[in-house]
Amino acid sequence: MENTRNTPASRTVLLDHLRTGTWVGYLTRYLIAGMLIVFAVAPALWIVSASLNPAKSLVGGTLWPENPSFVNYRELVTNDFFPYLTWFGNSLKIATITTLCTVTITCLAGYSLSRFRFKGRHSFMIAILILNVFPAILGMVAIFTTIQQLGLYVDALGLDKHVSLILIYTAGSMGINVLMVKAYIDTIPVELDESALVDGASPWQTFRHIILPIMTPIVITIGVLTFIAAYGDFVIARVLLKSSDQLTVMVGLMLFQTDRFDQDFGMITAGAVLAAIPVILIYIPLQRFVIDGLTAGSVKG
Amino acid sequence: MRHINTQLSRYGYILNLGVMGVLLAGILRVVFQLYADGLYPLASALSAITVFLALVYLRRRFTPLRWFAIGVGLAMLFTLYPILYTFYLSVTNMGSGHLMTKQQAIDRLESQLYMPEGGKTYGWAAFRSPDEAYALWLLPEEGPGLLARPGQPLEEAMPGEDGIGAPDQDGIPLTIDGYERLAQNQVVPIISALGAIDFGEPPDTVRIRSLREAVTLKPKYQYDPDRDVMVDQETGTVYRPVEGTFTSDDGETLTPGYIVYVGLHHFERFLGNERFREPLIKIFLWNVSFAFASVFLSFAVGLVVTLLFEGLPGSRVIRALLIIPWPIPVLVSILIWRSMLNPDLGFVAPLLESLFGSSPAWFQNAMWTRVAVILVNVWLSYPYFYVISAGAIRSIPHEIYDAAVVDGASAWGKFQHITLPLLLRILMPLLIASFTFNFNNFNVIYIFNFGLPPMPNTIVPMGQTDILISFVYRLAFITSNVTDYGLAAAITVMLFLLISLMVVFQARFTNLFREAD
Repeated sequence: MENTRNTPASRTVLLDHLRTGTWVGYLTRYLIAGMLIVFAVAPALWIVSASLNPAKSLVGGTLWPENPSFVNYRELVTNDFFPYLTWFGNSLKIATITTLCTVTITCLAGYSLSRFRFKGRHSFMIAILILNVFPAILGMVAIFTTIQQLGLYVDALGLDKHVSLILIYTAGSMGINVLMVKAYIDTIPVELDESALVDGASPWQTFRHIILPIMTPIVITIGVLTFIAAYGDFVIARVLLKSSDQLTVMVGLMLFQTDRFDQDFGMITAGAVLAAIPVILIYIPLQRFVIDGLTAGSVKG
Repeated sequence: MRHINTQLSRYGYILNLGVMGVLLAGILRVVFQLYADGLYPLASALSAITVFLALVYLRRRFTPLRWFAIGVGLAMLFTLYPILYTFYLSVTNMGSGHLMTKQQAIDRLESQLYMPEGGKTYGWAAFRSPDEAYALWLLPEEGPGLLARPGQPLEEAMPGEDGIGAPDQDGIPLTIDGYERLAQNQVVPIISALGAIDFGEPPDTVRIRSLREAVTLKPKYQYDPDRDVMVDQETGTVYRPVEGTFTSDDGETLTPGYIVYVGLHHFERFLGNERFREPLIKIFLWNVSFAFASVFLSFAVGLVVTLLFEGLPGSRVIRALLIIPWPIPVLVSILIWRSMLNPDLGFVAPLLESLFGSSPAWFQNAMWTRVAVILVNVWLSYPYFYVISAGAIRSIPHEIYDAAVVDGASAWGKFQHITLPLLLRILMPLLIASFTFNFNNFNVIYIFNFGLPPMPNTIVPMGQTDILISFVYRLAFITSNVTDYGLAAAITVMLFLLISLMVVFQARFTNLFREAD
């Protein structure tokens, strides 16, 4: 093959191709890139600019405000209609606790599924895969009515309670994550824990001191994915939460926008920008882990 | 070493068992209450979880399951049970007016009271505590006075004993511990509030009838389990159960009604009735088109980003800019687009007007709303397709291209005959999963325009950009005063079936269950 490629004939063909292709080709490609960049960046840029625009009503023509200020942000955190900071805190609290619960449960379950052999192990994993096929959103009517009924008997598990939301998120995010953790532990040599077990360590100690420290990458991946999903959820929170002080920032923003779009446009844009910040802050340094998680299924097979 | 370890794990086990015991006792208590109130589906789900947890912690052979028993319990309750319960709901009439079990509805009706003619009457005086709770001192025609507080049995009490002060000339104590006696002139302004309070506990409930008189109330309705009828104690009217509502022979009904089995009634409603079926088919077709267009276009843009800028100077910067939409939360992104396309506030309308002289009605015209939601969805999801196709392309062996170059293939030829087919084969499972996801992409549809504009002349409210899942949401949560959980569940059941079909389809392209090996 090397020989064929080096024959003068094919080299000329390639060079010709490049020579004619270069100028027009590059221009077209930069043009397409330019259009795509406008499509991708304009909305993000515009919302930031709108949030910094102190004018109550936007004049559509100017993309960047003439005298940018943070007055919208100040109004957002001090206004009397919408407890934005409370929503923000609720979201961070719910997403953080959900992440901790999910990581704990999936790590323990993944370890058990990877290292122990027991009856029903295989069917258990099949069951996870089948259940995971159905988007959680399909259960919204059933989940709402169930939580409504449970709330009559267990106060903390009723409507408008963060505990029920956290448990639902945790249950929903476990399935596929358990299998990811299991697959990750499968790649850790068994000899490692066997030598610890021979030395007299209990399974728990083996897990805690040998396996867990090596698992950091998968723990981060699952943690980041769970946090982003719980923080960004809209529909389950919308269905279950009712009173203004209990809302998450996503539900709150949506209500805010529906109720007071025209009056408080500046505040709404500021709220949207602030709401995006936690995810962006997590995403930038940990991007690699997000991509690992999302593409886990694609390249492997 | 070994000795210490066993000790630790034994303590651990005992601790574990203790926590589990408390948890199970708690669940069991709830199960009994649920069962008594007739909430059988939830009671059986919780029972199943209790049995599972108990087995895991009591039988040695289930030890490996102890590592994640709680997780399995949660998944049973919040993932598996909702699916089964949806199927159950789809064959019931649950919805507004029918939210309780029969037992709960009977209890509720039996707790309604009425003021009978010629009931026992009392003289009374009112007392008020600092936290605005009221109590009555009742004076029967003969016998000792009674202390009556809401929700507590009437107490026979003697003035001068147990915190009750000395009596005045009428036999009413001047003071009661924790309460302040109200004078006549203090009572008058609040008489109507006082008159709405039921003092005492059924069957001995007392209500104020006038400034002088309080009377014993009686239950208005009584359920007769032998005949399965509700009898009005005041008028003697008999109410028989008809489709989840107690109904008299004259057609009068009692609220609340209760949940009953209605068979395939909901499925007949939308499959058997042309005026329902046709708009629903419209929703379905739009649903399929929306999902297909979203996946196809996002994938296409993602591919362009992956392939077209390869080897272009500055491609790293271009790609870094193009991935900007990704980390922005979905709801925030959609709100941005909603504001941007808003004719009064956004910049898109003035821009288009200056270019073309007019701007589409993104929120009122069904066609343009559809264009907009697909556009927004492409913006949201092409970075994902870029990332996965970039990953997949790296896994295509380079030798294949060398061979193509030898055969004189053009760049387009290489893409058409090598890259695309291989990519599609690698990514097919993700593409199908993405189709399933977008088939139920509630967020884009609902947050952008609530599934509106409305569809004209439909039996139940529908939107022209509704997909099935947003229609379900509309039925269950938006349509004020006529929520219809049964119908919503029946449509969800159809969605479950459709998704199962997609999964079967997906299983043909991939060994779906290879993870379980």
